[in-house]
Amino acid sequence: MQKIFGFAWRGKSGVTQWEKGTMSLLKGAASGEQPMAGWLEGEPMYTDRQLVIRHTVPTNGLSFAGTIDVMNADQVASALISQLDQGLPLHLELSRVEFSDVSGIRAFVLAAECADARNRIVLHGLPSLLQRVITVVGWADLPGLEICSCSAG
Amino acid sequence: MLYRGTANFLHHAVPFIRDGLDAGEPVLVLTAVSRIDALRAELRGDAGQVQFADMAQAGSNPARIIPLWQEFIDRGSKDGRPVRGIGEPIWPERSPAELAECQWHESLLNLAIDPATPIWLLCPYDASALEAGVVAEAHRSHPLVTEGDHRRESGAFRGLGGSAEPFSVPLPAAPLGCRSLAFGPADLATVRATVAAFAAQAGLKAERKDELIAAAHEVACNSVQHGGGGGELRLWRDHRSVICEFSDHGRVDDPMIGRRRPSARSAGGRGLWLANHMCDLVQIRTLPQGTVVRLHKRL
Repeated sequence: MQKIFGFAWRGKSGVTQWEKGTMSLLKGAASGEQPMAGWLEGEPMYTDRQLVIRHTVPTNGLSFAGTIDVMNADQVASALISQLDQGLPLHLELSRVEFSDVSGIRAFVLAAECADARNRIVLHGLPSLLQRVITVVGWADLPGLEICSCSAG
Repeated sequence: MLYRGTANFLHHAVPFIRDGLDAGEPVLVLTAVSRIDALRAELRGDAGQVQFADMAQAGSNPARIIPLWQEFIDRGSKDGRPVRGIGEPIWPERSPAELAECQWHESLLNLAIDPATPIWLLCPYDASALEAGVVAEAHRSHPLVTEGDHRRESGAFRGLGGSAEPFSVPLPAAPLGCRSLAFGPADLATVRATVAAFAAQAGLKAERKDELIAAAHEVACNSVQHGGGGGELRLWRDHRSVICEFSDHGRVDDPMIGRRRPSARSAGGRGLWLANHMCDLVQIRTLPQGTVVRLHKRL
């Protein structure tokens, strides 16, 4: 199943406004692939040697491409917490996470613990191994963290 | 409990189970499917009151057994109600490395469960099928031995104080000339890539390879954070598994490491728990010169 977020509008050329922007922005990303269907990427909000996090539009969301581990987990947690003040659920597009370790997942958990019912964190496109890891280490049922069963497209 | 063959197993196990059921105690049996089938047939209508699990599945990696007992006790022993169980982790087909971990598990079980816990635990050993050395080690890891119809104290029992001794017995040496890599804090990606390349070459399929990489990364992180900033990775394979060993200069004081289900709130203590659930076998030893963690992933 593909879950569609928000909407895209088509210009006369048939290319969406955001696709134009996305194509140029994606050149520097860790992975050249597109995000899941329905997700349109905007400006990067965090970049390091192994990870790019971008705003997604028009949803209150972020997309991740690359590796989250002990090297950048603190920065990821800070980046997530900085997005929690919108009073809306924060949607994360994770289909292009190539690797995340336990400390990387803990960054999501730390942010989820800062969230309340209105601004919970929703994980989309979680690679299957990560989904298993979250369950094994006991973080699958946190109130502030929702795992969306939508496929990684 | 030493027994000889299925009929003798039933002779001991069935009255033990019936006593528990008569007293209203929860009963959990972890053993081979063939023994479970024999017990069900013997217990007839009462079998429905007994919880059974196939030890070859649930306890394939023996480090996953103590958490099963712990959960059974936590669930069943409310208000101090006694519970009872049968756990048979050792069978003749266990590999030498699996057998070593089963024996370490049996000894550690003495420390894992608070002596005040009201649990009766029966540990059957098939003396007609197991080697004499296995039975001798069972005498060292169990305070009481039942043989025939006699129950007695085991004269060879290490005692609670000695039950952690196997944690400090060195593993057989890694083969000479195996792939090795010294790593530090900046080399975690290299560690993952090295494990990935070796596992792929050995024939591990994608999903199982990724599970091994996830476990290996956590163990490498432990070496970086608690083992003196890094360690040494060694990789080899035998006829059934890829083996991935990490050694470092850290010490592990807690022999239960990797066997306590982490709570949602706890900060650490997940790396070796995860390794135990991503790998078929995890061997941890802490020695005067440092710690060794060996991950086995079956081909």
